[in-house]
Amino acid sequence: MSEYEAAMSADEVGAGEHAPATLTQKQLNDDVLKMISWPGWLWWMVFILDLAVLAVGFLALRNQIVLGLGVAGYTRPVMWAAYITNFVFWVGIAHCGTLVSAVLYLFRSHFRRAVYRVAEAMTVFGVLTAGLFPLLHTGRPWFGYWLVAYPNQRNLWPNFRSPLEWDVFAVTTYLTISSVFFLVGLIPDAAAARDRAKHPLLKLLYQVVSFGWIGTNNNWKHYYGAYIFFAAMATPLVFSVHSVVSWDFAMAQTPGWHSTLFAPYFVAGAIFSGVALVINLLIPIRKTFKLEHIVTLDHMEKLSKLVLLTSCMVGYSYLTEFFMAWFGPSKLERDLFWYRFFGHYWWAAWIMFTCNVIVPLALWFKPVRRNMPVLFVLCLFVNVGMWFERFVIIATSLARPIDPAATVYYKMSWTEAAITAGAFAWFFMYFLIFVRVLPAFSIAEIKETLVMPMRRKKAT
Amino acid sequence: MKALWALIERLAGWPAERHHGVMGVFFYVDDAVDAVRALRQAGHKNLSVLSPVPHHEIEQALEQGPSLVRWVTFLGGVLGFTAGMSLCIYSVLSYPLVVGGKELISIPPFMIPSYESMILLGGLTNLLAMLALGRLPQVKLRAPYDPRFSEDRIGIWVPCTGAEAERVKEILRGHQAEEVNLHA
Repeated sequence: MSEYEAAMSADEVGAGEHAPATLTQKQLNDDVLKMISWPGWLWWMVFILDLAVLAVGFLALRNQIVLGLGVAGYTRPVMWAAYITNFVFWVGIAHCGTLVSAVLYLFRSHFRRAVYRVAEAMTVFGVLTAGLFPLLHTGRPWFGYWLVAYPNQRNLWPNFRSPLEWDVFAVTTYLTISSVFFLVGLIPDAAAARDRAKHPLLKLLYQVVSFGWIGTNNNWKHYYGAYIFFAAMATPLVFSVHSVVSWDFAMAQTPGWHSTLFAPYFVAGAIFSGVALVINLLIPIRKTFKLEHIVTLDHMEKLSKLVLLTSCMVGYSYLTEFFMAWFGPSKLERDLFWYRFFGHYWWAAWIMFTCNVIVPLALWFKPVRRNMPVLFVLCLFVNVGMWFERFVIIATSLARPIDPAATVYYKMSWTEAAITAGAFAWFFMYFLIFVRVLPAFSIAEIKETLVMPMRRKKAT
Repeated sequence: MKALWALIERLAGWPAERHHGVMGVFFYVDDAVDAVRALRQAGHKNLSVLSPVPHHEIEQALEQGPSLVRWVTFLGGVLGFTAGMSLCIYSVLSYPLVVGGKELISIPPFMIPSYESMILLGGLTNLLAMLALGRLPQVKLRAPYDPRFSEDRIGIWVPCTGAEAERVKEILRGHQAEEVNLHA
C-alpha cells in the first residue's frame, strides 16, 4: 500500500476539479508565487483601514480595562453576551479550515487542493481571534493563565467535570494542531518560495518555514506518512471542539440551551459559516491575483454546495428545536422559543432565520452558485446570520431566565461593538499579511493534479 | 550592517559542502523512473530522488516501505490519553471534594480532557517523528540542490567516486538525463 496519493489523471480527478491541462508546473509556481511581492496601493489602503478599526478596538479594550466590565453592557442576568457570541462565532469560523483540509483529504475530495490553504489560514487566524474573547470576558485578561489546568496555592485543581475546563483543553489543542497542520502543509511550498526569493530576510523566513526542505524521496515519504495522521487526528478534533463549545451551553439547565441536539447543531453551523467565509475570502483573491484558472468556478460551486448542505442541516436543527420545545414536557422551553421569535429579540431571530435558512435556498440554482458577485453577497448574509444565531442562543436564553421577573433587555454597548469590530480587523490583519508573505495556494498539491511530463505518453 | 546582511544570507542558505557523486537532472518522469530502476539494478541502493512532488512510479521503483511515523504517533496518542486521564484522576484524589454529588473519579467527563490530550500529544509526536525520520530541519545539505527541483525537474543523486561515477554518468545519460553533473 502506497504512502502517497497517486498523481491524478484528468479523468480520475473529474472535470473542473483540477487546473487546466495546459498549465505547466513552472507556470503554477509563477502564478502562485507572484502573490508574494511588495503590495500595491489597494492592499495598503485596505491594510491601513483595517489597522484603524483595530486601533478603535484596542481603545475600547483600554476603556474596559480601566473602567471595568461595567462598560461592556452586561445586565444581570445577561452576563454572557457579545463576547461569548464572538467567541463561538470565531471558533465556528475556524472549523471550516480543518474540515476542508483534513476531512476532505480523508475522503479524497480533490477539489480541496485548490482552496485548502486559504481555509487553513482562516482556521489559525480564527482561533487566534476566538481565543481573545474568553480572556476579555474575564475582565482581567492578565489573569488568563488561571484557566490553565494547575492547582492553586491551596492545592485545589480546576473542575475537570466542567465544560468550561473542557473548553480550555479543546481550544488550546485545536489551536496547536491546526497551526501545526497549517505549517506542515506549507513546508514544500515555502521551499519553492525560498528558491525564488530575492530579499535575504524573505529567503531566511522561507528557509526556516520549510525546515531546509529539498524534496528528497525520504522527505516526501515521511511527509505524507505524517500528513495522513494529521488529517486523521484533526478530523475528530473538529467535531469534538465545537461539540465541547456547544456543551458550554447544553450542560446548563437553562431553557433554550439544555438540549442533546446542540453538538451536531453547532458543528453544522460552524461548517456553514466557515465555508461561507472561505468563499468570501477566495472570490476577491482569485479575482485580484487573476487566479481563476487555479481556483475555478467548479471549485467555487462545490464550496457553495457545502454551504447549501450545511444550511439545510442548520435549518433542520432550528425546526427540530421548535418541535422539541412544542412536543416536550417543559413549559419554560416552549415559552422561551416563543419569546425568541416573537419577544423582544424577534428582529435578531428573524435575521438569523432569514440569512441562514431562506437566503441560502437560492443556492439550489446552478446560475446562482456560479455567479461570483451574487455568491459573495449571499455568503455575507450567511455570516451575518450565523453571528446572530449565536447572539440569539446566548442572549435570549439569559435575558429571559426561569424566573420571568428577572427578564431584562440586553443592549450591546459601544465598547462591545468596538471590540467586536476590532476582532474582525484583528483577523483580517493576519489574513492580509498572509496573502502577501506565504504561498496562499498549495503549489505541491495542485501540482499533483497537473498532467505530468511523460516521454512515452508523448510519443504515442 | 553589512556583516548583519551577510549573516542573514548565510543563515538563509546552507553552508558550502563538498559532495562526492553524480547528479542527473530529468524532465520526464518515466525517464527518471527507468534511470532509478537501472541504477538500483547496477547496485546503487543509496540514491536519492529530489522532486517538486512525490511520484508514485518513483516510489515504486525505489521499493520504499511504509513510513514508521505511524508507530511514533500511536505511542504519542496512547501517552496523551494516559496523561490526560491521570491528570484528571490525580486532581480529584489529591484534594477529594465531592462536586454536585458526582463520583470523585467520574470517567465520562474525564474522557473529554483525556481525548483532547490524546490528540494534542499524538499530533505533536507525529510532527516530531516526521521531522526526525525525514531528517529535518536540514541544516547541512545532504545532496547538491538546484532550485529547479522545486519547479519541474527531477534530480537523481548517486553518491559515488572514480570509475563508479563514470558508470553512473553513463547510466543517467543512457536514460536521457537533461544534465549529468559530476561532483568530486
